[in-house]
Formats: sequence, C-alpha cells, structure tokens
Amino acid sequence: MIVAELKEFDEIREMIDRYSSVLVVGCDSCVAECAAGGTRETQLLASALKLSYLKDGRRKVITEACIDRQCVDDFIDVIAEQVPDHEAILSLGCGAGVQALARVYQDKPVIPALNTLFIGETVLRGVWTENCLGCGQCKLGYFGAVCPVTRCSKKLMNGPCGGSIGGRCEIDPETPCGWDLIIRRLTAIGEIDRLAEYVPPVNWSTSHSGGPRRVIREDQKP
Amino acid sequence: MKSFENKIVVFHCWNLRLFPDGAQKEFSKSWPGLSLVSIPCSGKIEAHFLLNTLASGAQGVLVLACAEQACQYMEGSMRSRKRVDFARLWLDKLGIATERIEFVRLWPVCKQSLEAVLKEFVTKLESLGAIGAPEKV
Repeated sequence: MIVAELKEFDEIREMIDRYSSVLVVGCDSCVAECAAGGTRETQLLASALKLSYLKDGRRKVITEACIDRQCVDDFIDVIAEQVPDHEAILSLGCGAGVQALARVYQDKPVIPALNTLFIGETVLRGVWTENCLGCGQCKLGYFGAVCPVTRCSKKLMNGPCGGSIGGRCEIDPETPCGWDLIIRRLTAIGEIDRLAEYVPPVNWSTSHSGGPRRVIREDQKP
Repeated sequence: MKSFENKIVVFHCWNLRLFPDGAQKEFSKSWPGLSLVSIPCSGKIEAHFLLNTLASGAQGVLVLACAEQACQYMEGSMRSRKRVDFARLWLDKLGIATERIEFVRLWPVCKQSLEAVLKEFVTKLESLGAIGAPEKV
C-alpha cells in the first residue's frame, strides 16, 4: 500500500486560508490503513480546522467527505454534488489521489493534506515500513521475497556490503540488514542456491528515472 | 454554571452505571449546561469526537472511563486514555487549552465522584473563558 503522513497543521491551514469554503476529502484505501487519510483522520482534520477557525473568530465552511478510492474516477464521482458548493478541495489522498481529483474537478484548487512517503506494509499496529520502490523489475523470487533494492540501504544486488553488525545496517542500527534477511530467509526455505543464479544488474530505465510510467492493457480498456 | 449552559459534554462508559436509581433527569436539572452521552465502552471514544464536540460549541468535554481494574472490556479504559491524550495533543497544536478535554477514571456506581469531578471541571472552564475569546492563563 501507499504510506503517507499528515502534513504539519500550520502548513495545511496556510494553504487553505484564502478559501471561504473547503471540502475535506479522505480516501478509504491505502491511506486509511496507515491511519493518515481515512474516514477517521478526515473527520479529525476537519474538526481541527473548524476548531482552529472558531478560535480565531473566523467563519469558514468546512465539510468532510470520504471516498473509497481517490485514484479511480468511478469513486471520485461520489463527491460530484458537494464539490460545486466549495471553493477548494483539501485532499487526504496520496499524491495520485490529489492529482486524480484535480484532473476530474479542473476548475477547483486541490490542496494536499498528506505527504506521500512510500510503498510499504503494516508490520504492527502503528508501524509501517517501506519494502517496495516500484523499480519495475521485481526480483523478489531470487531473494526469498526480501527486496534488496528497498531493504538494503545501499541497494546492493549481489551480496552484503560487509558493514552490518549483528544483522543491523551500518547506516542505521534500527534497520535490519536487508542481506541478512535475504540469507536467513533463503536458508529457512532451503533455497540458498538461488544466490548462485546470475541476476543481471537492474535496468533502472523501468524505474522513475525514465519519467512518468504507465501501464496500458487493451483487454481492460472500455 | 449558567454561563456554560449546554456547553459541556460528558462521554461516559455505560458500565459506570452512573444513575442506577434512574435519577439522570433529576441530576441533569441541577446541571443545565450538561449533555451526558452514554457509550458502550470508553474505548469507543475517538479523538475526532472530542474535537468535533468542541468545534460544535461545547466549551469542555469530559470522558469518564471505568477504573482500569473495573473495565469490562479489559483494555477499554486504557485505549480511551490514549485517545484523549491524542486529542489533547491536537488542542495544544491548535493553541487551545488542553484542559478543555478531561479524562477521569471512576469506579462504577459512584455519583458522588461524578459531582466532584464536574464541579472541578466547571471551575477550570470558567477560568479559561469561551473558545474564541482570549484565553485566561
């Protein structure tokens, strides 16, 4: 899932200060799972904004709405009736959600309330870690389903750097060494021989360095 | 109390059985500014309920949870404590006195404690003044 976190409140307020009415729109997919932009967080931010303007004695219309997936037009349509009544949209979606709203509601300013961080997983309640960089050439099958591109701080594809101590990364002792994880996992599943297979260097042209990526599936098109 | 009429909301766990004698109506008459909201467990409280209550015109919100040992759902009153702390962090961020949201643990069937808690809370709120007016420190 996409992991994000709420921006500083002052930054959000400064961005919406110029509008007299704001529709605060959450997204109940990835950003709900990471407790940044789901229904609950949307209501919290909307309440905080109302309270903040009340404290300052300023009148401002703040309305909240939440849609299942901000990055899909069919879901975005749910707020179509509310949008015209507001000067701007404050989105608690990821970067993709914000841009999708802006594409659909072209005459409305869309302000992001979150900083989108990474693709990751929930390791336990309240803890999310990055484990996929979206490089476009998944090699997890060779590495025991532990990604060297993301989990190794140096993105090494051909073995550990030798700097880890006790299975912890030399860059940050809080971070497990990606290669320690790979070797332990392959040993545990009896596939350590996978490391003898040649894995060509990553072709980074399929990652973001090649510009905005897109996937086209003719069979899925309308 | 009059200056805070209808301005204090109390969320309380219904397992506290605050009015086993059915005297809630009578009690409310002596506290005209009070709204009592019974919830299945104080752990059901969310930070946005508390902020939204203040944003809707209340001057203070009180969360009454069961004493930890008395919680029927094991950790409900621990969770509500965390949520209240989180809501208070938000108040701090907004520059609003954190005392406007109060958390108190009570033993079930203890109306006397409720009255004492309310008196103290009202005194605190009166010293703060209304939200939007310059707060007295």
